[in-house]
Amino acid sequence: MTRLEAAALQASSMIEPTTARTVLSVENLVVGYPVDGRMIKPVDGLSFKVREREVVGLIGDAGSGKSTAALALLGLARAPGKILGGKVEFDGRDLLKLPDAEIRAIRGRDIGIIVQNPRSSLNPMLRIGKQIGYAYQAHNAASGQQLRRKAIDMLRMVGINDPERRADSYAHELSGGMAQRALIAMALSSKPKLLIADEPTSGLDVTIQAQFLDEMWNTVQQTGSAILLITQELGTLANYCDRVLVLHEGRIVEDAPVREFFANPQHPYSQQILKLQRERGSSLGLELPEGGVKPLLQTRDLRKTFAVQHTKKTIQAVDKVSLSIGRGETLGLVGESGSGKTTVGRCLLRLLEPTSGSVVFDGEDLVKLPPNDMRRYRSKLQIVFQDPFDSLNPRWTIRRILCEPLDLHSNLSAADKNKRAEELIDLVDLDRTLLDRKPRGLGAGALQRINIARALACNPEFIVLDEPTSVLSPRARVGLIELLVRLQKELGISYLFISHDLTTVRYLCHKVSVMYLGQIVETGTVEQVFSRPQHPYSQALLSAHLFPDPTNRRVDKVIPAALEGEIPSPIDLPIGCYLASRCPHVVEACRSTPQTLEPVDTGQEVRCWRAAAGEITAFKGAHA
Amino acid sequence: MSSQHALSQSDLLPRRRRDWLFGLGLTIVIIVVALAVVGPYIGPYDPTLTTPNVSVPPPSLSEIPGLFSAWISGTLEAPPNWMGTDASGFDVFSRVIAAPRTDLVIALVANGLSLLLGVFLGLIAGYYRNTATELMMRVSDVMQSFPVFISAMVLVALAGRSTTNIVIALAFVYTPIYVRLTRAEVMSQKVRGFVEAARALGNTELSIAIRHVLPNSLTPALIQASVTIGFAILLTAGLSFVGAGVRPPTPEWGLMISTGANQIILGEWWPSVFPGIAISLTVFGFAVLGNALERRYDAS
Amino acid sequence: MLFRYISKRFAVGLIQLIGLTIAVFFLIRLLPADPVSRLVGMNSSAEAYAQAAKQLGVDRPLLAQLATYLGFQPDIAPGLLQGSLGVSWVTGTPVTTEIAAYLPVTIELVTLSFILALAVAVPIGMFGALNPGGKADKGVFVYSLFAGSQPEFWWGLLFVYLFFFQLGIAPAPLGRLSPMSSPPDVVTGFMTIDALIAGQFDIFVEALHHLMLPVFTMAFILSGPIIKMVRQNMARALQSDFVLYANCAGLPRARVARYALRAAMAPSMTLIGILYGFMLSGAVLTESVFSLGGIGQYAISAVLNYDYPAIQAVVLVITAISLVVYLALDLIHAAIDPRIAY
Repeated sequence: MTRLEAAALQASSMIEPTTARTVLSVENLVVGYPVDGRMIKPVDGLSFKVREREVVGLIGDAGSGKSTAALALLGLARAPGKILGGKVEFDGRDLLKLPDAEIRAIRGRDIGIIVQNPRSSLNPMLRIGKQIGYAYQAHNAASGQQLRRKAIDMLRMVGINDPERRADSYAHELSGGMAQRALIAMALSSKPKLLIADEPTSGLDVTIQAQFLDEMWNTVQQTGSAILLITQELGTLANYCDRVLVLHEGRIVEDAPVREFFANPQHPYSQQILKLQRERGSSLGLELPEGGVKPLLQTRDLRKTFAVQHTKKTIQAVDKVSLSIGRGETLGLVGESGSGKTTVGRCLLRLLEPTSGSVVFDGEDLVKLPPNDMRRYRSKLQIVFQDPFDSLNPRWTIRRILCEPLDLHSNLSAADKNKRAEELIDLVDLDRTLLDRKPRGLGAGALQRINIARALACNPEFIVLDEPTSVLSPRARVGLIELLVRLQKELGISYLFISHDLTTVRYLCHKVSVMYLGQIVETGTVEQVFSRPQHPYSQALLSAHLFPDPTNRRVDKVIPAALEGEIPSPIDLPIGCYLASRCPHVVEACRSTPQTLEPVDTGQEVRCWRAAAGEITAFKGAHA
Repeated sequence: MSSQHALSQSDLLPRRRRDWLFGLGLTIVIIVVALAVVGPYIGPYDPTLTTPNVSVPPPSLSEIPGLFSAWISGTLEAPPNWMGTDASGFDVFSRVIAAPRTDLVIALVANGLSLLLGVFLGLIAGYYRNTATELMMRVSDVMQSFPVFISAMVLVALAGRSTTNIVIALAFVYTPIYVRLTRAEVMSQKVRGFVEAARALGNTELSIAIRHVLPNSLTPALIQASVTIGFAILLTAGLSFVGAGVRPPTPEWGLMISTGANQIILGEWWPSVFPGIAISLTVFGFAVLGNALERRYDAS
Repeated sequence: MLFRYISKRFAVGLIQLIGLTIAVFFLIRLLPADPVSRLVGMNSSAEAYAQAAKQLGVDRPLLAQLATYLGFQPDIAPGLLQGSLGVSWVTGTPVTTEIAAYLPVTIELVTLSFILALAVAVPIGMFGALNPGGKADKGVFVYSLFAGSQPEFWWGLLFVYLFFFQLGIAPAPLGRLSPMSSPPDVVTGFMTIDALIAGQFDIFVEALHHLMLPVFTMAFILSGPIIKMVRQNMARALQSDFVLYANCAGLPRARVARYALRAAMAPSMTLIGILYGFMLSGAVLTESVFSLGGIGQYAISAVLNYDYPAIQAVVLVITAISLVVYLALDLIHAAIDPRIAY
């Protein structure tokens, strides 16, 4: 079956969903965990249905009970949790009432599941092929060579290269993406009628996410299974699901077809997570200050190399990066993991010492400053890190955390510092009572706001935001983006916004630079890069991104081929264009000619001589 | 979700208040600590002086109430020997309650010394990775491969059987453990986000090491200490038992068991059994406390 | 790969042993003990003292003594390089001969104790892990904490009082055989095995009988940490993601149990190794309670007599055995768990 046929089939089932047979029917499911003698109920009265061949999306915040619910559908709960009540009807039988042997027969045979943490879910001590074989053998009569052949077939089906060899690998030898594929091979080996996919792409890189979901979608079309797709990403919902369930505080608060959900969400929680789309469309439409902006921070030929241990080789993490950020401006820095974008952020602040190049801030080259002078400058340049749970000293109160920059950079009295801490906590919309708490027990959203408040303490002019929203749940993410926009407006700060989430970059940034293997391959305004990307890599990145737009679903259209192969090692880089080994537009000259950033007609600068020469077909960007 | 390793003070108490085991451990430890302070003064006899009454068995259970009231009313010529006397005429009870002064103080001081030294060296070795600190770790490896009991025995016997030397010997065998634990924790803490944030805020490296990394790296060493104190008591007693520990007539549990050992084959069980019960309960108490801390730490 | 790993481990172990040898050598000589006056008596003449010192070689500079000990001056006396651990200052016998006589007792004691402890503790620990939170699990847990924190010499004495004095079912704690029996010809040094080799079944039983209480004592102490470890590792394995996923995939119960068991076994190897080394050194106490005459008691007499060559040899031999045991268990660990790379 081709992708388009599959899509058509899927579309036909969408037209009259109610006539399709119900596969799974959940009624009033309750799961409880004993904590301090009380029962906490992460799933509390869950009811919904999944029909044949349907792709149902289940979205909710972290802690809304999504994963607990997924396990409970199989009659399982992580110790010491217990399923306290309700019905899970599958094929007319209540799974929760079945004896152990019978429910085991259904798990894996009729309902398959893939989970968030594929590598730890595979047995670390058994070869992958063997494990898939066991899973198949549990439900089918087969043995020995047959099992191995089945395992290899399944691995091939889920898109693993060289399945014969991979079948003999152990879990720790696989990448996250491959482990996830191995898991799906196991889950689908007995052609289940329902596949539960619990945030299957959470550990994967952007470019692989879409590819993986495409493959999962296609495979399921072949086996004719229905999918319950659990996610925190609006983009995943919009591109793959027919129907959306919103899980909030342990129960379903909204159940709507996907287009209706995005167009007209009913529940306040749904409205909150869709707020940005609904109010502003796809972009916040940020205007650059009139008459261009004076650059506040400029880098020139910034390089950073790391020595490879026990060899004389070096890793080129950042390669001649030149950036310019104006006052009150936001520059987005995008790219896959390993592209060097985080290293650039660290180098700007000299948290990593640049190998060469300059970082001129307000007329002063920071790279040349002696350590003591640099320390003084730190009040002007700040950073917010990706993981809010990790970036606050767990033994300190919030008050002490917020006062630390003041201790270092001001002569305020203790009373004034306290007052400033209160101002700061107000500024990021948190309650003042938090000041005397410690970070433990606070949610990711609140912690990230505290990180921002700390960064703001000494009135900085520039903040590096290093993937600040990537671990937040949908609602907290919306809140944080709004906060960042508001702070910029009120305080006139400049941001370098490092992210792999193109949807957020489009909301938040004025300009954007795309990085690949330590180099900037394309830079321009958000408008230029998102609607008319010129560099083949930018094009691939944008086409792989799942924008939250159900009217332009990925599964309904032909997708340009993704980049082939893997990112080359940053140790032995090619002489010519770094993308040459994966580029669909490659010609012989690319391999030998080092590329430079050149302006193109559409206004941006591109590191690709063919694009500069107008030889690369324009790519219809994402939802301009 | 990232792990939050550090324990705050309030976390050091177990989550559930009615954890009877933890209560038992804490009670034992408190009693032993109290005896280490007042034990030598409150016994009915001087713990270091012999009496003419040799090998007196302890009163039977039925005699105890009568003896007790007689003792309270002051009609006895001499206080009763609640746990009997040993072959030299020492009052076992007075010595059992005086012994924590020796055993616990040795264990506490030795652990305190090795904890201080080990945390200090571990912080340096973990925070500053260079040839010098690597060399230090290799030395620490060699020290850690010493067989513990035999090394302690050698050190004490050759240096002289004094309390001070036992303390030094124990500190010597325990320090590498603390170095290793602290170093490992420092290495995992120093790459955490809040350390980088502290750097971005303009802290000096020294201030980051002391104010941010150190307090967050203490927990494993402290948990280890609560377990090791118990083991140090066992080791101290064991040294006395083989004749390489404190000298008689110092009241010390291991020494008491050792002097009673010859009698036990003859059926005189009391000189050995009572101090043994004391060690058994004390070390168990510390083990329970240590385990409660460990579970708390693992849970976070 | 495997060969390279083993040889690398041996090399590292060897360097560690050399470091240890040198450290011990200096350590005992820097301590303020005077082995010469211990040997010749406090009141001996200066002449006698000097002669004894010369005889022992302690009048020479420290580095020269070390060189001899290591075997760089075989013309003076054989050293480590020649496979000699020196001559005992007290008995005048080569230390290797003495160690060979004492060591098997300890190894026999510790190994038998381990076998008994594992046989008892593994099922108990598993039982606890399979019924987490229950009354029985709590009991298992408290027992493991208790047993792991006990003075073995005291329990040895208690057992003697109970089983020898009161009940009379154990022999007096006076060695490996009763004074009336004559030991079998020494082949391996292990009394039980030698008795079997000699076909003296009665001696074999008697040796076991004499080992009964010491083995009980050590196995009791050992059972604590082993139960704790088995229970913890098993509980951890049962809660692991991949066991959960195995259930999700509908694997049969028996298969899931095998997954968990293997995962629990792997990390246990390291601790068993550490315990073995610890017990080898801690056997001193049990041996002296039961007068077994093992390496521990040899160490005691060496230490109390300031017999430096013997002291060095004991530390060296015990460490070397521990290192070999660690290596063997690491190899087993690697065989169970493919994540451990050679």
